[in-house]
Amino acid sequence: MIKERCQTAARSKWFFPLFCLGLGVVVLLASWLGGQLGAGVYGLVVMAVFGLVVLLLAGRSETIRGLTIGRDERFAQIDLRATAVAGLAVILAVIVAFLVAIAHGQNGSPYTWLGAIAGLAYLAAVGYFRWRG
Amino acid sequence: MKNRVRELRAGQGLAQGQLAEAMGVSRQTINSIENDRYTPSLPLALALARYFGVTVEEMFDDQGALPDGRAL
Repeated sequence: MIKERCQTAARSKWFFPLFCLGLGVVVLLASWLGGQLGAGVYGLVVMAVFGLVVLLLAGRSETIRGLTIGRDERFAQIDLRATAVAGLAVILAVIVAFLVAIAHGQNGSPYTWLGAIAGLAYLAAVGYFRWRG
Repeated sequence: MKNRVRELRAGQGLAQGQLAEAMGVSRQTINSIENDRYTPSLPLALALARYFGVTVEEMFDDQGALPDGRAL
């Protein structure tokens, strides 16, 4: 019972490798539709190898195991912070790209839309989490 | 936050991994708590206190400070 309370999420060890493989297949299909089958196969191989490496290392590394299989409350907090940092990095990149685009006389698209999506998603998330308490 | 987790765990002859298993968290989490690098959630703090048969106040010492750092 204690374990259920403190362990925020637990997945099969196959979840992450299969997710990588699935993403690789999607990349392959998208590349095939775009007439770039070679790039798609390369993407599938890269994703499959990455998933396999994670699967093999999960047995040896507590960090990888925590981030892929069993996520306790500390790893959940680390994951949340890391996601926030990654999101911030993307938003900063979008802002810089937008400024560079308008400085070159372009209209800033698609960075305007990406920035708007990020801003609206943030406001919606703040509203939702405030409402949820 | 200062705590007595290491002292209580060692007193029962438990390894970090054994306590982690009992609490359903990783060994690294227990290690971080013992080294004051991570403050556990209230459910985990309660579970730890109950496991060792002490109160949360006996296990964790907030040194009389409020969460924002001001003295109580």
